[in-house]
Amino acid sequence: MKTEKVWAALNVLVFSPPCPGCQYWTIGRIIAEVLEELDIEDKAIAVMGIGCNGYVSNPLNIDRVLGAHGRPPDTATAIKRLSPDNIVFTVQGDGDCMAIGAGSFIGALIRGEKFTIIMCNNANFGTTGGQLAPTTLTGQITTTTPDGRSVITEGYPVHTAELAATFRGVAYSARGAVNNPASYQRTKKYLKAAFQKQVDQIGLSFVEVLSACPTNWHLSPVESLKWIEDTVIPEFPLGEFKNVNRID
Amino acid sequence: MVERILVQGNEAVGWGALSAGCDAFFGYPITPQNEIPEWFSREFPKRGKIFVQSQSEIASIMMVYGGAAAGFRVMTSTSSPGWALMQEGMSHLAAAELPCIIVLVQRGGPGQGSIRHAQMDYLCTTRGGAGGYKNIIVAPASVQETHDLVQLAFYLADKYRNPVIVLSDGILGLIRESLEIKTMDFGPLPEKDWAVRGRERHKDKNFRFVHSGVGTAAVLTRGYPNYVSWLEHMADKYEQMESELKYESYQAEDAELFLVAYGYPARVCKEAVNMARTEGLKVGLFRPITLWPFPYQLIKGKAESGGKFLVVEDSLGLMVEDVRMAVQGQAEVHFLGMQSRHLPTDGGMILPSRVLEEIRRLSTDEER
Amino acid sequence: MARGMIIINEANCLGCGYCEKFCSRGCILIPGDKFSPQGYLLPVFANPDRCNACGVCNWMCPHFAIEVYRYIENQGAESS
Repeated sequence: MKTEKVWAALNVLVFSPPCPGCQYWTIGRIIAEVLEELDIEDKAIAVMGIGCNGYVSNPLNIDRVLGAHGRPPDTATAIKRLSPDNIVFTVQGDGDCMAIGAGSFIGALIRGEKFTIIMCNNANFGTTGGQLAPTTLTGQITTTTPDGRSVITEGYPVHTAELAATFRGVAYSARGAVNNPASYQRTKKYLKAAFQKQVDQIGLSFVEVLSACPTNWHLSPVESLKWIEDTVIPEFPLGEFKNVNRID
Repeated sequence: MVERILVQGNEAVGWGALSAGCDAFFGYPITPQNEIPEWFSREFPKRGKIFVQSQSEIASIMMVYGGAAAGFRVMTSTSSPGWALMQEGMSHLAAAELPCIIVLVQRGGPGQGSIRHAQMDYLCTTRGGAGGYKNIIVAPASVQETHDLVQLAFYLADKYRNPVIVLSDGILGLIRESLEIKTMDFGPLPEKDWAVRGRERHKDKNFRFVHSGVGTAAVLTRGYPNYVSWLEHMADKYEQMESELKYESYQAEDAELFLVAYGYPARVCKEAVNMARTEGLKVGLFRPITLWPFPYQLIKGKAESGGKFLVVEDSLGLMVEDVRMAVQGQAEVHFLGMQSRHLPTDGGMILPSRVLEEIRRLSTDEER
Repeated sequence: MARGMIIINEANCLGCGYCEKFCSRGCILIPGDKFSPQGYLLPVFANPDRCNACGVCNWMCPHFAIEVYRYIENQGAESS
């Protein structure tokens, strides 16, 4: 009986696995499948943010750059402008993209850079132990909101995919999740559409992917998926917020 | 046929970068270097090269990071407050060992400071920033030298896989002088096999990983067994970089008093030396062209043979610390700085007559 | 009649339970008394005759600990 792995081998760059139930390898696997199906693996360059979202790149056997926290859109801007035939995409967390990296993110959206931004949203700063993040839900307990996120002092969670959709240079903006097989396949479609926008050189494509973080949510993995379904998705609805074939 | 044009120092940065084969410029407006991004915005796109005005200096330096990671010759420019913002990117560039140049046109500081010239960034450039890295700094003192040193900087950056700083100031950036545009060849350089270009472009078809996280297990991806062994490689590299020392010696052979200056004050000092020599005063000038590496041995030698030093810097006393370190207590080191400007304002300058006054005072003291 | 089979790589399994949750045919169960050397609760392929090689357990496993094989008539198994 032959074994043939459908997606890129996991013998690259793995120092340790993520936490039990973390879905970042799943997201990475979906990206690997999409790159292979679109036949752009050999041209791809990933620009990584800092954080647990780094795990997303583990299943990818492609060139990658890791720089400063929050700055992948700047780094990707340079690479894509200098080498436009490469498929350039960022992989960032919610804090990397919308806290420290908000300026970098907005700069890329304004300029309508023709690369892809992937923001993995687990509603906290995971690597550092579970602090408040821009997408933390109202009332959610984190290590820096021990009484739950207060709208008075911490504001409301930010809706990044909706925000990205308002920029004229953005060709595609969607939010997916991987909390069940149906979501998995929808997210794969969104990621494929996003990369296709880059292949077709239309404009910036953005995909936000909700992901479980059992360790910092203090829930079991299966409970985490339920929390995504019951609480996170109502706050962060799934779907495509912008999908255009030309930028005017 | 030699092509000569009359341009500002800031524009000479552009002509030098073009001669060096620079592929991209990323920058942000800040006085007194706006002529630099403006030059690139005019001259680069029409030559098929990249110009991006970023949203901040934090962005500019990280764009440089990306362009350098992809194996291109890239640069940015800024002034002192923007330089403060670039510290994060500089540390990452040094860690990832990425070649690039940063042109810093100094202005008064700290904070927002003044929008006019000063020399207040000596320490925060020569000492490296967060994380204890080192970088070569070249300091021109004319429009021509700005153009030439930009090219040398690109070469040294590629040679050592390290950022190189070109340290200018608000006067050098804005004065207009004759420039001979020429392409300078400093020698062959190895291919950038480490750069990220997409797997299809790598001969071995293995992926490349450029990153600045060498203190963790990630160091394995750089081919080092652990953090300290990588640091040892960096220490070796910094030692090799010290061989790039450059300085100019003016009327120093028989001098008893040595002026030490860089940038616009170096030209002022040359004038002062000329004036002093007509009065029979034995004074000379050392002008470091690389501020790092610094000519410690040269100064130590003169200290041991009885010389006296006067450091002239448009600051409250920064390079003077290096001169004091060089003499190791064996010679007098005096300082003439911002408090001696001809006007106590942001537009005040250190003028030759003031330096001459100091030369006379120090020479008279000798006769006691 | 089984249309496929799975192999659980126990060294990679971190006991998250997604495979048991998402297998729509109840093939995979977590008995609660089987642990990996690191102490993670391991699943077992408890009802192999129900497997139709849909591959969902392979998609949803976040640690790449499950391989799925589809049987091809008269030709042995093919992976999926």
